[in-house]
Amino acid sequence: MMMRILLAAIAATVSFSAHAQATAVVAGRDLNWIAIGMFLLIVAVTLLITYRSAGRTKSKADFYTAGHEITPLQNGLAIAGDFLSAAAFLGISALIYATGFDGLVYALGFLTGWPIVLFMMSERLRNLGSYTFADAASFRLDRTSVRLVAATGSLVVVLFYLIAQMIGAGKVIQLLFGVNYLFAVVGVGLLMIVYVAVGGMQATTWVQITKALLLLIGGTLMALVVLWRFDFSLGRLFAEASRVHPKGAAVLSPGGLFAEPVSAISLGLALVFGTAGLPHILMRFFTVSDSAGARKSVFYATTCVAYFCLVIPLFGFAAMVVLMPDASFFNVGAGGQFNKITDLIGGPNMAAVHLAGALGGPILLGFISAVAFATILAVVAGLTLAGASAVSHDIYGQVIAKGDAPEAREVMVAKIAAVAIGIVAVGLAIIFENQNVAFMAGLALSVAASCNFPVLAMAILWRGTTTRGAVAGGLVGLFSSLVFVVLSKTVWVAVFHFAAPLFPYDNRRSSRCPWHFW
Amino acid sequence: MSLSLSSEQMRKILSNPSFRELTAARARLRWGLSIVTLLMFFGFIGLISAASSALGKSMAGGAVPLGMSIALGMIAMVVALTGYYVRRSNTYFDGLTQLVRRECGR
Repeated sequence: MMMRILLAAIAATVSFSAHAQATAVVAGRDLNWIAIGMFLLIVAVTLLITYRSAGRTKSKADFYTAGHEITPLQNGLAIAGDFLSAAAFLGISALIYATGFDGLVYALGFLTGWPIVLFMMSERLRNLGSYTFADAASFRLDRTSVRLVAATGSLVVVLFYLIAQMIGAGKVIQLLFGVNYLFAVVGVGLLMIVYVAVGGMQATTWVQITKALLLLIGGTLMALVVLWRFDFSLGRLFAEASRVHPKGAAVLSPGGLFAEPVSAISLGLALVFGTAGLPHILMRFFTVSDSAGARKSVFYATTCVAYFCLVIPLFGFAAMVVLMPDASFFNVGAGGQFNKITDLIGGPNMAAVHLAGALGGPILLGFISAVAFATILAVVAGLTLAGASAVSHDIYGQVIAKGDAPEAREVMVAKIAAVAIGIVAVGLAIIFENQNVAFMAGLALSVAASCNFPVLAMAILWRGTTTRGAVAGGLVGLFSSLVFVVLSKTVWVAVFHFAAPLFPYDNRRSSRCPWHFW
Repeated sequence: MSLSLSSEQMRKILSNPSFRELTAARARLRWGLSIVTLLMFFGFIGLISAASSALGKSMAGGAVPLGMSIALGMIAMVVALTGYYVRRSNTYFDGLTQLVRRECGR
């Protein structure tokens, strides 16, 4: 059975890359064989990881938490791998490429969420819960109702985040490897289902660690190449960047994104507290053996994310210098005119990838493309696992079966849920291909910040919390976020303005950048 | 574990001086560091909307603009704050927890 699933996955990947060649030839693009080779290698390594994990995933503790046996360093890397989505790597370097300094503030916002998670959440979460954050949220309160609210919040976040990630993934893979969107989305969906349904948390963790290491190696390599290009002088980098960028020297100072205090603070709040309500991140704290381990893993994760905040601006500013003066990186209009930001081939999100090609040739280009691909896989796997656990542990195991479900059956429910979530996400990603996905990613982050985070924070930090208060608070956050998104399709701006103060309404201008992935 | 405490044991733990010191000091550290972190970030955002052009200028003799230097400093601060909290918790507080356990006979 297990072997058959894995063989099917391998067969799908092979046909996927065969298809890549076909479309690339049709599209007249030259194929980067290094990228394709690296991509196949990553798929093979992750499937091997999954195969080895399958034998060790039997009990529900194995499935949800890898038996609480992950070490703090491994968990720290996995958290960073879970958290640093393509938004961090491609999106923020694109944001810096487009806006300069503002992109760096954005990166700082999501780094600042981490100490808060550590001080307020990590150890109590680990002490009070065993598998999902709903365990900790419902510990002192009515188990059924609080758990249902927390599980619903988790599922909403997971589903919308997953759709946004899948659509982003489809587009990125389409650009990187020349594969058709449909194949890209189905391929990613299939891989994530296999990782989670077959290998559970063990496989997901190691996929995330592999991704984090690749991202660290790729990021460091590229940072060195960039610094080498500018003789290790940041002054030269900034001076040349402000010479070529359309905004001129203004790229070095704060601009539009954070100009107005109200929207700047709401964006900051969403970035900081959204992190503390993401179910796939919170779930990772249960994979270590105790609260000391949970704390240490946040420290390692924060260090990784901080390192990224240091190297990502290098890519953004270097991309300005290297790409902007060279018309060959742009879709040039009939009169030889092009917009130095929006006309970048493949959109501004491709800034880091083009930079890799320009500075390091096809080898670095291939490597960075493959890293971007691994980045996507690790995040969607973490999301699928969190969603499956909300269904099987919270809704089935604790609410429907009242904790009496046979363990084997609960694990089976989790695996079926993983497959179902994967199929739904793929289907929705195909339906919404040409929609602006910014609102979905926005919804995910706003539900995380306004439903999951307050329920959990009230339950574990405030002694006076009652069940009714926690349930009401969670539902208000959940429904106001949902309502504003439903309405926003028709009355986007008006609703953005008052229904969800946590949502960065001013940020739609940059929605082509990070929100796609977030 | 803690669920099986009798009310007698509970009273004993709650009135234990080491336990009181532990919870008070830990709350101080937790809330103090959180406030420092949030003030730092939102203070920076406030500074941006108040004095954005000044942040684009380089400091005398330096090549890196002022805003960029502050941002780099904040990245370092975040790592330092988490590192400090983890060290303090995993040595001092966990030691104190062990002490409470021993004193309360558990």
